[in-house]
Order: sequence, then structure tokens, then C-alpha cells
Amino acid sequence: MELDLENPLTCVEEEQYDTVSALFDSESDHMASQIFLRSFHAESLRREAIALILQAQYSCNLDNFISYLAVNYVDRFISKKEVPEEKPWILRLLVISCLSLAAKMKKIDFSYSDFQRDEGFIFDAQRIQRMELLILSTLNWRMRSITPFSFVYFFISLFELKDPALTKALKDRATELIFKARDEIKLLEYKPSIIAASALLCASYELFPLQFSSFKAAISSCEYINQESLNNCYHVMEEMVTNEWDEYIFDAAVSSTKTPICVLDRHYKNSVSEKSNTANTLEAAIKLPRGHENKAQRSQIQHFASYSQSLGKGRRTKYDLSAAPKRITRNE
Amino acid sequence: MDKYEKLEKVGEGTYGKVYKAKDKTSGQVVALKKTRLEMDDEGVPPTALREVSLLQMLSQSLYVVRLLCVEHLDKNGKPFLYLVFEYLDTDLKKFIDSHRKPPNPRPMPPALIQSFLYQLCKGVAHCHSHGVLHRDLKPQNLLVDKEKGILKIADLGLGRAFTVPLKSYTHEIVTLWYRAPEVLLGSTHYSTGVDMWSVGCIFAEMVRRQALFPGDSEFQQLLHIFRLLGTPTEKQWPGVSSLRDWHVYPQWEPQNLARAVPSLGPDGVDLLSKMLKYDPSERISAKAALDHPYFDSLDKSQF
Repeated sequence: MELDLENPLTCVEEEQYDTVSALFDSESDHMASQIFLRSFHAESLRREAIALILQAQYSCNLDNFISYLAVNYVDRFISKKEVPEEKPWILRLLVISCLSLAAKMKKIDFSYSDFQRDEGFIFDAQRIQRMELLILSTLNWRMRSITPFSFVYFFISLFELKDPALTKALKDRATELIFKARDEIKLLEYKPSIIAASALLCASYELFPLQFSSFKAAISSCEYINQESLNNCYHVMEEMVTNEWDEYIFDAAVSSTKTPICVLDRHYKNSVSEKSNTANTLEAAIKLPRGHENKAQRSQIQHFASYSQSLGKGRRTKYDLSAAPKRITRNE
Repeated sequence: MDKYEKLEKVGEGTYGKVYKAKDKTSGQVVALKKTRLEMDDEGVPPTALREVSLLQMLSQSLYVVRLLCVEHLDKNGKPFLYLVFEYLDTDLKKFIDSHRKPPNPRPMPPALIQSFLYQLCKGVAHCHSHGVLHRDLKPQNLLVDKEKGILKIADLGLGRAFTVPLKSYTHEIVTLWYRAPEVLLGSTHYSTGVDMWSVGCIFAEMVRRQALFPGDSEFQQLLHIFRLLGTPTEKQWPGVSSLRDWHVYPQWEPQNLARAVPSLGPDGVDLLSKMLKYDPSERISAKAALDHPYFDSLDKSQF
């Protein structure tokens, strides 16, 4: 059965609620170990691995979930087995093998060479097979990873939203934030369920600010949630969203020169640099005239604020929520 | 694999040999199931990957035999996979046999039948709630811990992605006794009902200490079923006569089911009849079975 990250336990619809506790019970089995996360080596290794995975994702046009899953495998692997920094080919082999395993779990056809198009040399199938087996035994064949996506439906159900369009808007935004959160090493220490809950809270704060407190209460009353952990994670994510807005403005300003490579470069600079320096570094990198940037930023934020407010007032008639972000883009 | 000391071969599972073995360091007794891994140009076969990881996930339940770990090994250049399972001392087939055959033939205690059936339904409900059918439930696949009175489902998942196994890995004929009529009649759209039919047959077998429908071919198997439950009609089971392997059969009238399981009380007979409904959509689900009055006298807090 292929893996659906939103439903890794393959729960049949009518049984979802019986198996929620199983999700919470075993989520920790699918996380990277905490000790690993504190090392500097881990951070640079991970950054390198994510860059390679995203490169393959762009060049093979892979589904986001495949790369997400591959990163989960890489994280868990490097937190259990030491990957020597001085041998970069090992990391590349690890990345290719994790991508291959992820694609197989998602039932996507591919060939090993697809993942190595941009490489100087190509690993032979046998070497990749060996690596796959090593990864499988290291992860104890727990390849149906429980990720934040697994909890999104459950938390949304706690909100008791009546309008499917609102549900979709909330889910889409939370999904986007979960993808972003992957690249923040600070967020890696939180359980998948906490990441999902925080992403939904951030999304609801943006989309339905008036309902935020009732959403928060609903999530907080969930017996599986550790309140302190949720608060901490939420704050880290909030910070990430603030930075995302800065980033977004730059994107808007330089969209004509945007290529996957420069997106990657900027992205990684962003995730390592001190948060307060982010804007400066980026600004220096792209040399944007100051006035231009501020104007763009203002108009974005104003537009977004009025959009959120109008939603908050409950003017839901004929709102095409999925079209809303596009309207923001058009104002760029 | 040096970690384990093979003690004895305990069987031929549907997909390969099964050994009883001992973990040399911990002393834990385990069951090793050896499976050939057919590697192709694209590495670990995707089906094996998906199924073993599915098994890994399902074996979190108390009522499914726990997969402790998976080891791979190259032997003469061929890759093998060893699935390391917890070991239970017997299976339900041997357990029923020990109650039927000398030196000590005796009925299984009704409370034990009730408890085993409950655990079986729990395990089946667990699999079904995850969208997984077992498709080959039979007493040999149900492992039993005699001391603790525990029953667990084994031989789950592997190689079952598409079809009901017809021939085993070792070309041993797969038993038909527990096979649902819709499968015997060639239906391709079967569902959770196939497992519930098997559960019903196993329930009756625990009571009778012999199989309810011991057919030796698909045709004979159907006749066994029809003789007891009556030849199915379109009214009873809409669509039956359009199934691929439907023929004209002798017309039998349904017999009294209670007579086939004389020592079973009325609640038990009622539950059994709901598991053996012809129309798969009318067959009781594992989850609903857990709430059947037959289990009212069972102390469910222990599960």
C-alpha cells in the first residue's frame, strides 16, 4: 500500500478517530534523535543534504511530499549513524538512496539515473541497493513515517469548521508552513504533532484572526498536547513566518531573476544566518534599492491585513479563498 | 544473522521457511521468517519495501504478532530478508488438535473459545481499521500462548498486495477451508468480509474441534458450504449468479446451524450466523462483532 503522508497508518475513513492515539503513541519513533540535533556537524550535514534533495526535486520535478519524506529518512539516518564530513560522496549516496526509498514508498516510477542527472559521476545500482538496505535496517524498516501532515486532519476536525472552503484554506496554508518548517533546524526537536498544531495556529492567525483563540483552546484541550512545547514551537514558527514575509517581499521584487538555484542559495543562507541579520544579508546579496523594498513590503502587508480582517468579520459570502493568495500576488 | 542461533525449523510459512531461533545476546526466543529478496536494477523491490513497512506498523497491536526487527543477509550473492518475530509456543491448529486427539481429547473450555474469538476479532478489526485485509486467516496463522491465553494473528501482509495466495511459496496447497464463497466464486471485488468469513469458520472449528467446511477443491468447498447454509439465491445474495465462477448447483435447503455447533449457546450461534452471511455486505464487521451479546459475559477489561 503506498504511503500517504497525511494518513501513514492507512486508516480507513470511518476509523480515523480510533487510531489517533496510535499516531500520537508512535510519532517519536519517526524523529531524529535529540542528541544529534545539538551538534554543529549535524546542522551543516543536514543543510547540505536538503540542498541536494531539493536540487533533485527541481531537476526531476518530484512531488513535494517525496522530498519531505526523503529528508525525514536522512534526518533519522544521520542521527543514528555517523556520516563523515570529509567524504561528501557518502552524503550524496545517502541522499539518492533516501529519495529512491521515498519514491518507492509513494509508488512513483523513477530510475536511479533520474536523481543523478546533475552529478559529475553516477553511483551504480548495486551501491545504491546496499545503501538502501543499510538505511532500512538503521531505520528498522519504519518507512511509513509519521510526519506533521499526519495530524493536520485530526486537528482541523477539532476546529469544527462548517465551510469546506475555509477548511481548505487553513489546510493549504498549514501544509505550506510545515514544508517551510522542515528547513528550520530549531523546529526539528518538536514532535510532528506539535509542528502540525503550531502550523495550523499560525495559519489560523493569518486567515481567521478572530477565531484564533477558540482554535487555540481547541488544540490546547487535546489530551495528547504538551502545552509548553506547543507554545515554544508556536513562537519559533511565528518567527519563521515573519521572516517568510520579508523573504516574500524580496521574492516579489526580484521575481524576474528567480531561478531554482538562487532560491536555494537564498533559502539556505536564510536558515543558517542569525534571524536579525537575515534582511541585511539578503539585501546585500541582491542589492535592492531601499525605497522600492519598503514600498513593496507595505503594500503586501496592507493588502494582507485587509484580507484577514474581511475574513475575520465573517464576510464569507462568495469568497473564493483559494484565489485569495493570487490576489495578493497581483498587487505586487 | 550471527546474532541468532537457529533451533529448529517450525514450519513453511506461505512465503518461506520459518525457524525457531534464539538471540545469542539476550537469550530471547524468536521466530525467523526467511524470504528471498528479488533485487532488480532498481534496488530493494518496492512491494517488499511497502509491505514490510506496513507489517512493521500493523504489528504495533497486541493482537498481531510483533515484528521485532528485519535483517538482511547475502547468501551466495543472493539477498535474503529475515523477518524476526516474537515467538509463541503454539498455533491454534495444534491447540485444537491437542483437544481432539489422544491422549487427552476434551472440548475447549467455552470461556477460552470466547476469549480467543474476542482477541481474533480485535486483531482483525485492527487490520481492517488500517485498510489491510489478511485474506488467509486460518488456525495455523493464529499463534497461541497457552500459559497466558493469548492469541495473535500471524502471516500478515506479505505478498498479499493483489491476490489471495493460491499456491504457497513452497508450492504447498493453500487450504480452502476458510475461504469465503465470494472468493471461491471468482469475485474480484472482495473486501473485509472475506476475513470475517474465515473468522466464522475458525469460531465453529474451536467449538467442534474439527473444520466446518473441509473441502479439497474449490468446487467441493462450495458444496460443503451450500449443504449446510443452503444454495445461495439471488434474493439472499444479490448478484451471486453473475459472479465469474457461478454454475448451476444442486438446490440445498439451509440446515439448522446450531446443529453443526451443538455445544454453542444461542448468542454464539447468532454471532456465527452473522459471520457466515452469504452476502458479504451483510456479514458482521470485526468491530461490530466485538459488541455482540456473545461477549457480554467476557471480562473485557483484561484486553
